[in-house]
Amino acid sequence: MRKSLLLAGLAAFAFSHSASAQTLNVATAGDQNMVDYIKDYLGPLFEKSHPGVKVVAVGTGPGDGGSQKIYEKLDAQKKANATSVDFDVIVIHQKAAGTLVKEELIEKYRDKLSTAKLVTRDTATNSLGTDVGGYVMPMFHSQTALAYNPDLVKAPPASYAELRDWVKKNPKQFGYNGIKGGMSGVAFVTGWVSAFGGDATKLESGPYDAAAKATWDKAMGDLKEFNQSVVITPGNAGTLDMLNRGEIAVGPVWVDMFYTWKAEGKLPPSMRLKLISPGMPGQPMYYAIPKKAPQDKLAAEFIALATSPEVQAEGIVKRFNWYPGIDAQNLEGKLDQAAWNQLFSDITPKDLASNGKAFPIGPYFNDILETYEKKVAN
Amino acid sequence: MTRPSFFGLLLIAPALAMIGALFLYPLGFSLAAAFTDGSGNPTLAHFAKAYELYSTDILFTLFIVVTATILTGVVSIAIAGILTLGETPWLVAILRNLYRWPLFIPFIVAAQCMRTFLAKNGLMNNSLVAMGIMEPIQATSLLDWRGIIITFVWKQVPFVTLMVAGAMASVDRSTIEAGRNLGASRPRVLIELVLPQVAQTLLVGLVLSFVTMLSVLSVPMMVAGSQPTMLTVDMAFRINSYGDYATANALGVISYAISGIAAWIYLRHNVKREVQA
Repeated sequence: MRKSLLLAGLAAFAFSHSASAQTLNVATAGDQNMVDYIKDYLGPLFEKSHPGVKVVAVGTGPGDGGSQKIYEKLDAQKKANATSVDFDVIVIHQKAAGTLVKEELIEKYRDKLSTAKLVTRDTATNSLGTDVGGYVMPMFHSQTALAYNPDLVKAPPASYAELRDWVKKNPKQFGYNGIKGGMSGVAFVTGWVSAFGGDATKLESGPYDAAAKATWDKAMGDLKEFNQSVVITPGNAGTLDMLNRGEIAVGPVWVDMFYTWKAEGKLPPSMRLKLISPGMPGQPMYYAIPKKAPQDKLAAEFIALATSPEVQAEGIVKRFNWYPGIDAQNLEGKLDQAAWNQLFSDITPKDLASNGKAFPIGPYFNDILETYEKKVAN
Repeated sequence: MTRPSFFGLLLIAPALAMIGALFLYPLGFSLAAAFTDGSGNPTLAHFAKAYELYSTDILFTLFIVVTATILTGVVSIAIAGILTLGETPWLVAILRNLYRWPLFIPFIVAAQCMRTFLAKNGLMNNSLVAMGIMEPIQATSLLDWRGIIITFVWKQVPFVTLMVAGAMASVDRSTIEAGRNLGASRPRVLIELVLPQVAQTLLVGLVLSFVTMLSVLSVPMMVAGSQPTMLTVDMAFRINSYGDYATANALGVISYAISGIAAWIYLRHNVKREVQA
């Protein structure tokens, strides 16, 4: 009893002691793999180059909801006139990035970074229609695509129109997770509206027109009919589970989750990917620094390290199977050919350029989800 | 009637403050948010929206919870009946030791287990196929409304059984023995003699299960796809995806209304019992 008390005291002392050294608080939205990435890979790497600094990573939950929580916290601290906020670095989705910039909750830090010039993708400046240039640094790019089981499907559909016909002929062989079970289902639905609902470029780059949703009626009606012959899976992981067990043959997935599951043996090695036309959306995750972050200098150094070609090659591409956030050309020579080939074997850079789309801009995005709830799900 | 003493009030003050701060204030806040618009004017727009988007889900939720409650009742009565009236000692002993286990398993763990157990090519179907009871082609996935009901019933049966079996144990044995002596079968003794005497307890157990199941988020989220789904999932979705607390609160009020009916039944019977006592 005595001993354990002493131990507890020691532990408390050690804890308070380490807290007095510099602590970098990183809050990240997204699935568990995001927290793992920072805790197991990036954090220790940064601590090695910055002795005395401790990186603490917290996850705030998957999907836009996770980013929403970060926003609500920063917003509350701003409204309470806090002298400093709780986070030094935040990792957020596109939708929240736009809001955070508009409400001036994050710092315009990018141009001070040495790695800023390595970024070329337009999502680094345009986040669902909001200009976020200078405020965010892309951590990685993530893409959705159809995963299929080549044992069950010899020639997978190559477009949304072909998929629609294929599902009619093969009922209950396609599965997706609706819009409440994670972003791979949301991506499939926005891709559907882009394919059948009229003006796809306007969805991606605006301007917003509230009347546009009336033109989606036919597409949504077709989707409702389409849903009659598909399986609604429970979540992003649910789709992969059902693919793994052979219960469905085709389903939309995140490319990085797909490769990770395959590497861990949770999917058969024969599984393949197909990025169908006219395109499915993908999205970056952003690094940002909140205003009044207690360690803003360290935070900028942390982000510079995270977006350096070495870390992008080793951490983002090789270990976690994401597409790099900086221009892929900068990774040449940093990455062995095998890892490079693996990432681009099913979806070639050419496919990615022509069929890798952005999500619709914020207001259209919400309209699509709500119209789906109204016309398809209810 | 005696007037409440100052000391008495002081004693219950901490409890009252807790209820006020942690229950009544948030409840009032969410009610107010459900019935007012951004600038504080009263409106029913959030309810219109909730109905427009989620009318199917409201019915679905009611269907799931009512069905699961009825099944829970039936299974609990059967188990408690065997425990009380069973004449095969080893069967009673096994059942007594087994039935409580799910009580100690959280909903989310139960949901996770069911996800691999009830799948089309999951543990249950694979076992049935391996035993030669079923052909592989007959296998269907139970991961839809049936999965939710199975998980709920599995999780709530021990709770209700525990209450009902306790009540049955305290029933006067002589009534049961009289029935058996006069030639009534055990099911008849259970239904006509024992059940009426424990009906109050059964009802309380079922009402509490009903309210519990209404508030579970993890099970519908993990076991079944999202169309249709239960109100808890819709509320989480409104908040996570849109930051739309107003419609989520409106859905919350609809949930209160449903559980309010259950609470009313519970209170009515409780009051009746107290009057009888």
